[in-house]
Amino acid sequence: MTELDRRRFLQLTGITLTAAGLAACAGTGSSEDAGEDGPVESLTMWSNHPGESKPVETELLDAFTAETGIAVKLVTAGATYEEVAQKFNAALSGGELPDLVVASDVTWFNFALNEAITPMNDLWSAADLDVDGYVESLVSDYEFDGKNYALPYARSTPLFYYNKQMWAAAGLPDRGPETWAEFAEWAPRLASANPGIPPLALPDGSNYLDWHFQGMIWTFGGAYSDEWTPTFTSPESLEAGQYLQDQFKQGHLAINNDPNSVFGAGQAASLLQSTGSLGGLSETAGFDFGTAFLPGPPPGCPTGGAGLAIPQRISDERKEKAMELLAFLTNTENTITFTQATGYMPVRKDAVDDPATQTFLEERPNARTALEQLDVTQSQDYARVFLPGGGARIGAALDRITIGGEDVQTVFGELEEESTTVFERDIEPKL
Amino acid sequence: MTTVAPRPETDAAPRRGTHADTAPHQRTSPLSRVGGYLGLLLVVVLVALPLYWILVTALKERPDIYTVPVTWLPDPFTSDNFQAVGTGVSFTDYLRNSIIITTVLTVVEVTLGVLSAFALSFLRFPGRTLVLLFVIASLMVPNQVTVISNYALVAQLGWRNTFTGIIVPLAGVAFGTFLMRNHFLSLPKEIIEAAEMDATGPVKMLWRVVLPMSWPTLIAFTLITIVNEWNQYLWPLLMADDSSTAPLPVGLAQLQDTAGLTNWGPVMAGTVITMLPILVIFLLLQRHMIKGLTAGAVKG
Amino acid sequence: MSAAPVTAPVPVPPSEGPTRVRRSANPPGNRRRDLLIAAAFLVPNLVLLAVFTYRPLLDNIRLSFTSWNISSPTASFIGFDNYVEWFTSDSSRQVLWNTVVFTGSAVIGTMVLGLVLALLLDQKLFGRNAVRSLVFAPFVLAGAAVGVAFQFVFDPTFGLVQDLLARMGIDAPQFYQDPDWALFMVTVTYIWKNLGYTFVIYLAALQARRVELDEAAEIDAASTWTKFRQVTWPQLRPATFFLLITVLLNSFQVFDVISVMTRGGPLGNGTTTMVYQIYQETFVNQRAGYGATVATIMFLALLVITLVQVRVMERGRES
Repeated sequence: MTELDRRRFLQLTGITLTAAGLAACAGTGSSEDAGEDGPVESLTMWSNHPGESKPVETELLDAFTAETGIAVKLVTAGATYEEVAQKFNAALSGGELPDLVVASDVTWFNFALNEAITPMNDLWSAADLDVDGYVESLVSDYEFDGKNYALPYARSTPLFYYNKQMWAAAGLPDRGPETWAEFAEWAPRLASANPGIPPLALPDGSNYLDWHFQGMIWTFGGAYSDEWTPTFTSPESLEAGQYLQDQFKQGHLAINNDPNSVFGAGQAASLLQSTGSLGGLSETAGFDFGTAFLPGPPPGCPTGGAGLAIPQRISDERKEKAMELLAFLTNTENTITFTQATGYMPVRKDAVDDPATQTFLEERPNARTALEQLDVTQSQDYARVFLPGGGARIGAALDRITIGGEDVQTVFGELEEESTTVFERDIEPKL
Repeated sequence: MTTVAPRPETDAAPRRGTHADTAPHQRTSPLSRVGGYLGLLLVVVLVALPLYWILVTALKERPDIYTVPVTWLPDPFTSDNFQAVGTGVSFTDYLRNSIIITTVLTVVEVTLGVLSAFALSFLRFPGRTLVLLFVIASLMVPNQVTVISNYALVAQLGWRNTFTGIIVPLAGVAFGTFLMRNHFLSLPKEIIEAAEMDATGPVKMLWRVVLPMSWPTLIAFTLITIVNEWNQYLWPLLMADDSSTAPLPVGLAQLQDTAGLTNWGPVMAGTVITMLPILVIFLLLQRHMIKGLTAGAVKG
Repeated sequence: MSAAPVTAPVPVPPSEGPTRVRRSANPPGNRRRDLLIAAAFLVPNLVLLAVFTYRPLLDNIRLSFTSWNISSPTASFIGFDNYVEWFTSDSSRQVLWNTVVFTGSAVIGTMVLGLVLALLLDQKLFGRNAVRSLVFAPFVLAGAAVGVAFQFVFDPTFGLVQDLLARMGIDAPQFYQDPDWALFMVTVTYIWKNLGYTFVIYLAALQARRVELDEAAEIDAASTWTKFRQVTWPQLRPATFFLLITVLLNSFQVFDVISVMTRGGPLGNGTTTMVYQIYQETFVNQRAGYGATVATIMFLALLVITLVQVRVMERGRES
């Protein structure tokens, strides 16, 4: 196979480009700063401001500038994680790279695999970062091959929301179901006590059903994959798929494009959604709702959300400063500020124990559930977050067995095959 | 009015001009007028309902947005969403950028489009058909294909986060060239021929003969160009880094919370605010789609 | 790019032929002048198109023969593998079908409705200007807002359609979950949003038409339909041909409505059209080489379709 240089294409087809300009760019990233040999005076951070966080991000960055004298430019790099990734990919083709970029659970790995973001472990020691202070499961989400490529920032998990009135009407205790089997028992009672209202609302495959089902499949002993080997067709995984299909057929769960709004309008008795929806639902819902761990056994709950990464192709000085900024943004005090402003999980353990957090949680018992659930969360399976397009692929399959009513074994069998193909074609040669 | 003596089009012109004021349809029967109004009503209902929802959502408080059954009127009315757009976002900066980008692009594109179309319609040169095809075929390249490659080029030129970088790559005009050429070819032959007999120079012919008969199409071209450029999102998002160059759609993107539950009120308020200036321009220009014709023909 | 003379009736050689370019009477000196002026008028535009559309297109065609991860600095040459994959894959058949159904419906829908509305609002009716703005307004909207607004039309819980049908005792279709209904939903939304485009072009054409012909028909006391068919319609033919081509090209490349409303789902490919597939493969599946292949195939398909249309159009103009 001939290796064709991507940049060579641009040179050949470009009309005015000089080879020198391109070559220079490949190494330095930021052409504005390429000429600066002196100390780093400014940094750039790309964010989509998850959780409507622009004001708090600005506040934290200003504080950093006040402390260090380094100005930080906050760039709105898109409305979604996908758009940020798109802008970052464009920059990789020969533009100015940011110093810090938001990367989601499904976008960071490809950047790492293609050496677009830098392994951080050496930078940590240089910056005297206390890694052990972070919540371990959240840090290990960004670990591959013994190296860490990002630190947790705007992190969320799924959460079980339930409508207390409807729960009471069905004579259920004021808690979430402990197991999915218990949910199956409760669902008919909920349905008959609240006619016309589905017991549980879930998003469809285009809206991250695959994320919520990740936890469900674990509780049955199954998984999407064991490292790179897909395990969709293991008996346990198939059982989980069958459970989802049965519950859907029995009308125990409604699959919807916008389950948040359905639940918020009192049109579903319970909801699986991100902890990131907590703030919005508290404002929207005109009724009393509770939150609970995801059903088990034991509670099956994946992590999610986004971290902050540092590009590979910027100078070492910039990397060090970017690390300093990253450490600042996620220090105890600022973690508390960010968490309280957005509703995301605190990424540091001492932020959880801090009195300020405790007071905050006392007033918000629902936020406490989300936080306590953090102890039982696990990193997601490779087949969803590392395989390119994994989430969409699994989501489509889950659509097919629920709203499509197709045979679980057939669909999961195809899913397994596709995942294997993608791994062998797109990942294996790069490992 | 004239430097070119015989003006054959003055024969036709006043009659063409009569259209706006004394449209023949005025004499249609009462029955078809009733049909007209019924049709109008249907259009209003079908087109207006989703628009109404956008407006009304912008005026609702958050819990009021998603309810069952849906509420047709905000209760209470709130202007908070509009204030949120005004305070949370450097709104005036984005608005200024949008105006700059749209104005420059519209002027450039309309000029280039008219000139190109004129050359392709009235001037003879070898390869004309191929040039036309070259122009039209560029409409077949989706911007998902062009952005990455153009980004690399523009970044090399050092135009990132500048108006130049946003504007220049968008300035080529294919749609408008095609539209205007199509219109020019439909102009009455006798008038064009007469103008040529006079050995009018091409520039004079364009300005004095062709354009005065083209206002409605030219205005349609202008309107569509304004709309397209006003709503540009992907390219400015890649190019712009801050409120010194980013236009409104990019600036308003930060109102959407994709990880949690988007508060649609401010998003809809932003949409309404973004849309209004263009609607005003439409209202102003669409009148000239009629009047312009008369005036042009008389002055021409 | 094909060098085929697509518009045979148009005389390209300057010296001969019966000509629609009505300068044949001019002395030869004018031909050089024509060429110079044409160059001055055309070159800026052509350069912009060449640099910012065709250069990326060439880049894209080269990349279609590679395996390239969008985040990687290198692409490896793999010959026609991507093409073979696209033409043999089941999902491309569905994507193609979705694109054809969507495009066909959008072209017919926006053109027929746009024409009817333009005819209606060409008349002197009370409130005409306000309604014209109303029809144009959706065209001005951003994609995200349209997606949300139409949730209130089609949503099975909040939607107006659901509400209306429930009043008649009918269950609403699952617009977001049944692939056929989902495709219907995005098509209707697209038509609603883009009606303003065909409307404005038709309106402009109606305003520019030759009124004396209408008046002649008035005197003949022809029926409304006969008048439309014999007098108005022939004059709208250029606008119609223009719209056929541009609406087809635009709707073939639909992206924002689908990205906002369904993300190409349900069931994975329920509403995935070719441009959405390009996006999905390039940026989500990180197979930019394969995405480039889909884009190249799409470009060639559109080129062929348009060449046929242009030929028909030029022939129609001749007759």
